[in-house]
Amino acid sequence: MQLANRPTAERPAAVTPDNIVLATQGLTKTYGRGKQRFEAVRQVSLTLHRGEVLAFLGPNGAGKTTTIKMIAGLVRPDRGQVTIAGEDPHRHARALRNIGAVLEGNRNLYWRLTPEENLEYFGVLRQVPRKVAHRRGLELLDRFELLDKRDTPVQKLSRGMQQKLAIAVALIHNPQLLLLDEPTLGLDVEAGETVKALVRQIAQEGRAILLTTHQLDVAEELSDRVAIIRRGQIIAEQSTESLLQEFSNSTYQIEIEGTLSPAQQHQVSQLGAIVDGSHITYADDHHQLYALLAALQPLPIVSVQRDRADLTQVFLKLVKDTQDADS
Amino acid sequence: MIDLLHVELKRTWIQFIRYPAEVIAGLIITTSVFYGLFLSARYMAGPSFAFGDRLDAVVVGYVLWSLNLYIINDIAIGLQSEAQTGTLEQVFLSPWGSPRVFFARAVASLALRFTLISGIVLILMAISGSRLSFPPVLLLPFLTLVMAGYGFAFMMGACALVFKRVQQILGIFQFLLLFLLAAPFEQSTGVMQYLRFFLPMIPSTGLLRDLMARDLPLDWLTFGLALLNGLAYLGLGLLVFNWAEKMAKKRGSLGGY
Repeated sequence: MQLANRPTAERPAAVTPDNIVLATQGLTKTYGRGKQRFEAVRQVSLTLHRGEVLAFLGPNGAGKTTTIKMIAGLVRPDRGQVTIAGEDPHRHARALRNIGAVLEGNRNLYWRLTPEENLEYFGVLRQVPRKVAHRRGLELLDRFELLDKRDTPVQKLSRGMQQKLAIAVALIHNPQLLLLDEPTLGLDVEAGETVKALVRQIAQEGRAILLTTHQLDVAEELSDRVAIIRRGQIIAEQSTESLLQEFSNSTYQIEIEGTLSPAQQHQVSQLGAIVDGSHITYADDHHQLYALLAALQPLPIVSVQRDRADLTQVFLKLVKDTQDADS
Repeated sequence: MIDLLHVELKRTWIQFIRYPAEVIAGLIITTSVFYGLFLSARYMAGPSFAFGDRLDAVVVGYVLWSLNLYIINDIAIGLQSEAQTGTLEQVFLSPWGSPRVFFARAVASLALRFTLISGIVLILMAISGSRLSFPPVLLLPFLTLVMAGYGFAFMMGACALVFKRVQQILGIFQFLLLFLLAAPFEQSTGVMQYLRFFLPMIPSTGLLRDLMARDLPLDWLTFGLALLNGLAYLGLGLLVFNWAEKMAKKRGSLGGY
């Protein structure tokens, strides 16, 4: 149970009310009537700051896409409010200037057009002057390593390239908020890694990113915070780090080179650790950890690791716990 | 807005030029159908019958019908195909607002279609021996006709947003439209000579036939009424489209098909 390699340098900008890019309050959406009526989303409130990546997780049909579409102004909430950089996209179309979106299950691009043409077209569609859109389009193609494909119709590009281009198109108008619905779905390992690196870069530029994914390792790697939705309700929302901490136990695994002398074995056992050849498991008070390490001298220590939960375990446990509570 | 028109024209042109087969097939079908109708009419009337002005009027009616049919289907079919290919929601994410985007699209596709229809007119004139005149003032009633046509296009687009499958409605509408455009209401008497100003596109088609087939000068009073007719139907279409967009957003069915 190793925590994936989350770069700690990528913390979001200081969280202050001025930094809020997205705020939703009490979003509620019901579909259907009579017996077929069901509440897709119930009282969802989220806040997202500049430079922050929020992983929005949940089982299929939990209400993720409906929430994202309510944020983007594509689905009208029955109750609740969306504010993006201070404006409500359901009241003022100009609020859409601050949203870039790559929606799941959609092509998001014109397949008959080339990358360059798509960028120019969508730039103007997002109210960027045509010449600026063209120039910025070329910059994005260069940055996303697609410049040599600028004249190839999109349908002839690989799935990974199409996805990169869809993200580039979502950034053409320099939005503050980027909505990414399953951005790594269906990509091979290499393309998936490229997209992840891009998401990190984009967040570092100071944009807020709302990310949904079923690939929990991706969410764990990229997100600063996690919100888990189940049956339309948020069941957990906190920083990824603290959520993982909360679900981790305090067991340490120590690997040494060579074997312990009988005296050392006795001392280590006295401290409450279990020795198995060159492998020591220690599950007690971490204050004694240094005493334990001291007892191992002078044998070289190969590794010391704390058992950590990963997001998959946390997710499954949370979803299952609420399921049990419901029944 | 000029930039939006520019990129819409570019997009329409690129999509046409990269895959021209479907548009050219459409042109060949339109021309062949007319030729079929023309041959049948001549067969029924006998070889000695001279069509004269009536033939010209029929050619004008037919061309306007095929152009308007295209206009009216344009938005609805565009919406349906973009819902299927998955670009529609991106279009609705535009800060311009959807009516302006679809209006720019309509102008762009009309510009392309207008060029193509000019080709059809020339072919039809060659086939039928019809001699039509094209005074510049013709553009005025043409504009009012197109306005009313786009009013209907927005209404059909609204149907596509709310009901998703609109092929049946579009199919039935073709014949209603043929009746509206081909029948010479401008020569009607009684109540109909007043009522015709309330029917969609009728005052404009009457004026066009007067100008192109009957070599009459433009009647400005009738044109004023045709303009009101065009504006009213366009306004109505936009209202209905706005309502449909709200409805689709409420149902959460905007990108569905």
